[in-house]
Amino acid sequence: MVKLIKNYRRVLESMSSFFKDRKPKKKRQQNDENQTTDYPIEQIQVSLSGNLNMIKRKTGNSSDVVIREIKMGRNSDIKTAIVYVDGIVDNQSIQEYLLQSMMKDDHKEEINQHNALDLLSEDMMTIGNISSITNLDDLFASLMAGDTLILIDGVDRALSASTKGGEKRSISESTTQMVVRGPKGAFTESLGTNTAMIRRIIKTPDLWMESLKVGRVTKTDVTLMYIHGVANDKVIKEIRQRLNRIDIDSILESGYIEQLIEDETMTPFPTMYNTERPDVVAGNLLEGRIAIFVDGTPFVLLAPAVFMQFFQSAEDYYARFDIATSIRLLRIFMFLISLIAPATYVAVTTFHQEMVPTTLIVAIAAQREAVPFPAFVEALLMEITFEILREAGIRLPKAIGSAVSIVGALVIGQAAVQASIVSPAMVIIVSITAISSFATPSFDMAISARLIRFLFMLGAATFGFYGIILVLLMMVVHLCSLRSFGVPYMAPFAPFIPVNNGDTVVRLPWWTLRQRPRLISANTVREGKSQRPQPPSSRGMVNRDLEEGDNNEA
Amino acid sequence: MMTMTFLLTSCWSKKELTDLAIVAAMGLDKTKDGRYHLTLQIINPGNVAGGMQGGGGGTQSPPVTIYSASGDNIVEASRRASGRISRRLYYAHANLVVVGEKLAREEGINTLMDALDRDPEFRNTSTLVIANHSTAADLVKTLTSVDKIPANKVLKTLEFTQRKWGENVKTSLQDVMKSLESPGKGTVVSGFRLVGNPQQAEKLDNLQESAPAATLQASGIAVLKQGKLVDWLYGKPARGTVWILDKIQGTDINIDWAGKKEAIAYQTVRQKTSVSAQVKNGKPHISVHTRVEGDIGDMEVPVDITNPKVITKIEQSVRKEIKKELKTAIERAQKNKTDILGFGEVVHRSRPNQFKKLKPEWNDVYFPKLNVDITVEAYVRRAGLRNKSFLSGIKENQK
Amino acid sequence: MEKAKISASQLFILMVLFELGSALLVPLAIDAKQDAWLAILLGMVFSFVLLLVYHRLYLYYPNLLPTEYMQKILGKVMGTVLAFVYILYFMYDASRVLRDFGEMLLAFAYPDTPLFIANALLMLVIIYTIRKGIEVIARSGELLFIFMYVLAVAGFILIVSSGLIEFKNLQPVLEEGLFPVLKVVFTQTLYFPFTEVIVFTMILPYLNNPKKAKVTMLCATGLSGINLIITMLINVCVLGVNLTARSQFPLLSTVQTIQVADFLERLDVFFMLALITTIFFKICVLFYAAVVGTANLFKVKSPSRLSYPLGLIILFLSITIASNVQEHIHEGLKVAMFALHIPLLVIIPPLLLLVTFLKNRKKHRRKTFD
Repeated sequence: MVKLIKNYRRVLESMSSFFKDRKPKKKRQQNDENQTTDYPIEQIQVSLSGNLNMIKRKTGNSSDVVIREIKMGRNSDIKTAIVYVDGIVDNQSIQEYLLQSMMKDDHKEEINQHNALDLLSEDMMTIGNISSITNLDDLFASLMAGDTLILIDGVDRALSASTKGGEKRSISESTTQMVVRGPKGAFTESLGTNTAMIRRIIKTPDLWMESLKVGRVTKTDVTLMYIHGVANDKVIKEIRQRLNRIDIDSILESGYIEQLIEDETMTPFPTMYNTERPDVVAGNLLEGRIAIFVDGTPFVLLAPAVFMQFFQSAEDYYARFDIATSIRLLRIFMFLISLIAPATYVAVTTFHQEMVPTTLIVAIAAQREAVPFPAFVEALLMEITFEILREAGIRLPKAIGSAVSIVGALVIGQAAVQASIVSPAMVIIVSITAISSFATPSFDMAISARLIRFLFMLGAATFGFYGIILVLLMMVVHLCSLRSFGVPYMAPFAPFIPVNNGDTVVRLPWWTLRQRPRLISANTVREGKSQRPQPPSSRGMVNRDLEEGDNNEA
Repeated sequence: MMTMTFLLTSCWSKKELTDLAIVAAMGLDKTKDGRYHLTLQIINPGNVAGGMQGGGGGTQSPPVTIYSASGDNIVEASRRASGRISRRLYYAHANLVVVGEKLAREEGINTLMDALDRDPEFRNTSTLVIANHSTAADLVKTLTSVDKIPANKVLKTLEFTQRKWGENVKTSLQDVMKSLESPGKGTVVSGFRLVGNPQQAEKLDNLQESAPAATLQASGIAVLKQGKLVDWLYGKPARGTVWILDKIQGTDINIDWAGKKEAIAYQTVRQKTSVSAQVKNGKPHISVHTRVEGDIGDMEVPVDITNPKVITKIEQSVRKEIKKELKTAIERAQKNKTDILGFGEVVHRSRPNQFKKLKPEWNDVYFPKLNVDITVEAYVRRAGLRNKSFLSGIKENQK
Repeated sequence: MEKAKISASQLFILMVLFELGSALLVPLAIDAKQDAWLAILLGMVFSFVLLLVYHRLYLYYPNLLPTEYMQKILGKVMGTVLAFVYILYFMYDASRVLRDFGEMLLAFAYPDTPLFIANALLMLVIIYTIRKGIEVIARSGELLFIFMYVLAVAGFILIVSSGLIEFKNLQPVLEEGLFPVLKVVFTQTLYFPFTEVIVFTMILPYLNNPKKAKVTMLCATGLSGINLIITMLINVCVLGVNLTARSQFPLLSTVQTIQVADFLERLDVFFMLALITTIFFKICVLFYAAVVGTANLFKVKSPSRLSYPLGLIILFLSITIASNVQEHIHEGLKVAMFALHIPLLVIIPPLLLLVTFLKNRKKHRRKTFD
């Protein structure tokens, strides 16, 4: 009976202290700096054991939370403890700097409750970044972020030392956006590394960064980066507003953020650009765009985005203008092919047979004699088969990968033709389409082309070229109505800004591209005048009989 | 799925390739009871393209199949033919229209033009040919050896002979219509003849021989007056007509030299003919001016062409020869009382007011009495790879 | 009025596309036979006069839609009635163009499809476009303008390289004298297509730089006039006068005769592509003017919603205005001209201008005397 009552009381007590801890969490007040003996109900407790218990309870006694107690002070009577989460901290800096400085420093004799924090932070700690924490939210935030907490018995504040570390992927080559000429490093999953890579490229102090944490549970670090003076302030404000509005429990990848802040969701076209290459990000920052880094993913978002961007690759800018222009034109041509090639084939063979030269139409007719399906069904079958192969190919382990290509190409393609399920011309068209769709540098745009292609095929199957042109008109109107953070999606084509068009479908030499995109950046002067490279003397024939001093060879 | 099936079944203008019978050539004849008889040359795709489908051993079937039908006009005949063919007739690739001689003589081709012109599927650029001394059906049924599709043979033959020999012209439906509408209302159309037995021509064994017994060849130019066939031109008048129409691209003119007839062959490379008109005292007067350039192709007598004077003499002979030919052509046309040379149109263009008075009787009254001035300029430019003739070499060696 | 601004170059492009609209389709001014090109040239020159009238009216009221300033000039009742008449005129014009377009498609490419379906599909795309507003229309115009011109230049090069052009077909020039040419000008060419640009008075208030309006309008008319002249010239040179006069769609017949290198033949589909583009813009502009005018007259809050009912009306109107092609053409050439074109395009705007001018004079006089 007595035991029962004792238990009951213990439960009540723990419940009351439980409640005492819970209630004040809702209010977020800053406590005063006074080291009074009364317990600040919501905050870090004065008693070290109380704090440690609270930490253990909150983290559910997770096995990777390490608590190390140290005795400091003249009589070793000041109990301190360091708390950290093993795995996300840099063990070496804890051992060498933190523990060493706390345990081996001479000052440790002088510590008492009153000057503990100041002494520790200003005299003893040899770690670079130390801040003082007063409320529980910040305490857990920094603990979970990889900082080490230093708690002192009798003090209601804690110190947090920045010891972020742990295993990270090293900087390797980009797997999704490869170039032949140009820097090869790609971003990694760690936010600090990524921003550092940008800093290494752009060394101006105008490169500003703003950090925020997004996501209620994951508390992911998100960093905005832009060049002050070049980026448009209104866009920066808009992005900041939209990021602050995000109220979701987890942000696992930049894709989440992209889908939560983009301008228009009901469109197959992406309105924000993403990349995993630092030189691309740097180039875009210099044009006035804003980069959004998300911790945990190497893909960085860039806003605002325009349609032509998705057809530009970094390599275009490193190569000379003639080859860069030709390759860009080729890319656009291939994009168009990947959009309308199957549709055109279906339209021509079903509605407009007069367009084809007689010998070709006879050849195609001969092939189609044995095929049981109408052209549209055949096209659909082949396209769907190809999509299946593509999806399967992504997930296959490398060992079986080559088998899939053999199965796909030879068995399905060849055998289907010989079994008269599809005609050879159809196989050719579908293969050309598939190859063309890989030419688009940006994966997002290639995916939207994949979807829209089916729409075109449907239009072609019902109304021939009229259907294709109607779908094309709708697509054009839709593209023209999109905006990305206030910038029209089809700039600089529509509205037509002649001076910016040197870098869209063609790429004119660097010495002509003297202005930044007018609608994106605030400061449009990029280059000075007369940047055209020239050798010192004229290239034609130079007269020899000039008098001395008359030569104005620059 | 539902929308797809709905849309697929209800697209109205869909034409699946396997439902089409591609017409390569069309032949028009008149039957005994005055109706039109249509002969259609339909391509067999499997036999032409040599498709992948295992290839057909055993019996070889011809690359084209012939179907015929009759009707009161072309549209009716064409639709009636559907009773015999398992597919829909598709005219968009029909490049050849053959009109039988009887139909051309008795009724003329004017009535045929509208159906062909109005139809959106039929091409205006297809070639019109008149069957010489045979029916269009026989011509269309012939199988040919080098070209799998016989229509192609006719078309390509016409094209190359126009370029190389110049006695035939390739006239499209549109050209024929234009000249029939012109004030002269006369036009020329090429003729084609079936040489050999018509029964033999339809058989596949005709092709098994190295020298097929029945072949098609281009033969003569038909003169149409107001759409009706009135005369055939062969040889020099034909070439002269084509010359005045400015359609000669290359031909061979033989001149007599040193007592030998047709001793030197002059190959024309380029020519330009211009016709101009004047009206004096209500009487029209035409001048034809042609300018020819060419090479020497063959010399059967020893001639020293390194001497420029010789070249000048050759040029003069060529000039005379050409003038003779043009004159024959004009006289022939005048005899037929048909302005196939386009002189009426020229007068209309340059002197429209005066032509208005002359127009109603142009063909019958004014054209036959026309004075035509012909001026020819001929130039010899090159002579192949050699200068002196082979025979002069022999002559010199014998000396 | 919606809150949008278009630039002068966008206005230029819209006007060119609009005027080329269905004028490329029909045998324009062929009643003047070989001198059709002269008739078009004169029509263009005379239309400059009317353009200046429209422009002057715009200058008096640069920020108001014509539906609004008509009310100001003629008083509320008369102005509303007149504005309503104009809106009906725009809708009728749009349905005529839609009918022209449907007839063209059915004539050569899709003979078995019902007219309603062909028109309805285009109307759906147009309704989708109109809902987005004038800026999107202008921007799409810029993109498609380039596309159209590429097609046009390619077509021209192909025609020339097929060796089809014969300048002799243009002779004799002025065979019957100048009078038939002038007759054609004043009965047909002046109105269709040149002064149909009155619809742009509904769009001028959106211009972001009013000073450029005059130059833009004149240049656009000039450019489209030159294009039409070249087109008719080519038609007559290639086909000859008789065939051009007999054809429903002479440009189509010209394109059908292109034969290059043995494999480029029967390219009529490209003709269809170019025409769909220009007609799309013509109907868009007319329809947009009708929607904006109605929204303005009846004080409707969201004009986008108006596009559905008005679109359906235009669609049904296009089916019912004529029961066959011949009636449609006859209506367009003979009936519409007297009943609609002359009063609405030629008589009323100068009257409006006169009234405005007098009103302003009175105001000035009053001001100077005060």
